[in-house]
Amino acid sequence: MRGMKDQAIVCNIGHFDNEIQMEALDESDAVKTNIKPQVDKYTFPGGNEIFMLAEGRLVNLGCATGHPSFVMSNSFANQTLAQIDLWKNKGKYENKVYLLSKELDEEVARLHLEKIGAKLTVLSKEQADYIGVDVTGPFKPAHYRY
Amino acid sequence: MSEDYKVADISLAEFGRKEIDIAQHEMPGLMAIRDKYAAEQPLKDVRIMGSLHMTIQTAVLIETLVALGAKVRWCSCNIFSTQDHAAAAIAATGVPVFAWKGESLEEYWWCTERALNFGDGQGPELIVDDGGDATLLIHKGYQLENGDRSFVDSEGGSLEEGVIKDLLKNLNEKQPQRWHGVVADWHGVSEETTTGVHRLYQMVEAGELLIPAINVNDSVTKSKFDNLYGCRESLLDGIKRATDVMIAGKVGVVCGYGDVGKGCAQALKGMGAQVIVSEVDPICALQATMEGFRVMPVEDSLGIGDIYVTTTGNKDIITPRSHAWHERSGHRL
Repeated sequence: MRGMKDQAIVCNIGHFDNEIQMEALDESDAVKTNIKPQVDKYTFPGGNEIFMLAEGRLVNLGCATGHPSFVMSNSFANQTLAQIDLWKNKGKYENKVYLLSKELDEEVARLHLEKIGAKLTVLSKEQADYIGVDVTGPFKPAHYRY
Repeated sequence: MSEDYKVADISLAEFGRKEIDIAQHEMPGLMAIRDKYAAEQPLKDVRIMGSLHMTIQTAVLIETLVALGAKVRWCSCNIFSTQDHAAAAIAATGVPVFAWKGESLEEYWWCTERALNFGDGQGPELIVDDGGDATLLIHKGYQLENGDRSFVDSEGGSLEEGVIKDLLKNLNEKQPQRWHGVVADWHGVSEETTTGVHRLYQMVEAGELLIPAINVNDSVTKSKFDNLYGCRESLLDGIKRATDVMIAGKVGVVCGYGDVGKGCAQALKGMGAQVIVSEVDPICALQATMEGFRVMPVEDSLGIGDIYVTTTGNKDIITPRSHAWHERSGHRL
């Protein structure tokens, strides 16, 4: 950080605050000045300054309000279906990590299309047979990467 | 008895409720699930604990779980991510919430413990986790109760690790079988994010995972949307609210080019910044070049970059010592 341009802005949107060595920065010879909540200026002895956002924690949630609702509806629909699945199958799963089925993944996407005015094309039986899928999906093999 | 919640200001509940109502219109997936399952009540009386950013969107998730019959307790999974009006609105409905914006590390872990405590020694039957902190606390507490003190007595680690160790040691003295009781009733966790999922796979590898887990992160409709398109909008929202800086004409340095990094790089490019990407994975690095981004180590961007964004999920990406390293490399800054 010492070698960054004067007035550089530094932030993290990964997950934890250790992507940026905050503890080392705070113990360094840089002088910290708080500008406002979740915005700090660090001045190095040479005079150059950087701005650290959200103390190195998630900038989108620390300095703003996180992701928009529409995209989070996708994530949280998956969460809700996962909770239902875990409860329905309690005692049946091993202590391992599982993925939700592709049927449920496609269902989550389907639930969001109407709201934004997207209309799906429907495969004919002949087309579905030609590529070896059901007319109602799933449409891709497990290894497909999107 | 004191109230069974802790939020910044319960009087913000009305404002929170108005924003929750707006968000519901933008969350058709959750609302459709409510419609489909409300009659069936598939989560009837299930004790669910959530450790996930206490935002307006999360409020809609919580109320969906409640609509499906669950008994929910919640905390945030980040000391800064709570929206106080969202927390207040949820607390006002009688759902115990322990979250406010700007928690100390001690307060954060206190909140996590409180959200895990359903009273009468009961813990959650299911957990909604984001980053794996709730899962971590239970597993480390369980290990300690088994006489394995390797974690709590280990030296070093971050400040936060020290806080967790102190909490676990204190709890262990007061309730030496607390976590065994919790694990006995715990049937699973669904994990929201890349980092938490990574922790879960490591626990499976080590033979330590105590419950089944569902990796929500790697649903296509999660990681290819939230991580990518979510960050594409919210990164600049955060930077703008914090600094009001003009993005156009600046040089943005995005560390990591996974789903999150791709979204961030696109956002910066879209607003007129030049974008540099740092990557360790040759496939992701090649992808970045195909999108027109320069690829170089962070060190090589010093003196060029105006805005640095870490997206890797790894540690020590940006250090105070970069300058010294750079001097050794012989480049003039």
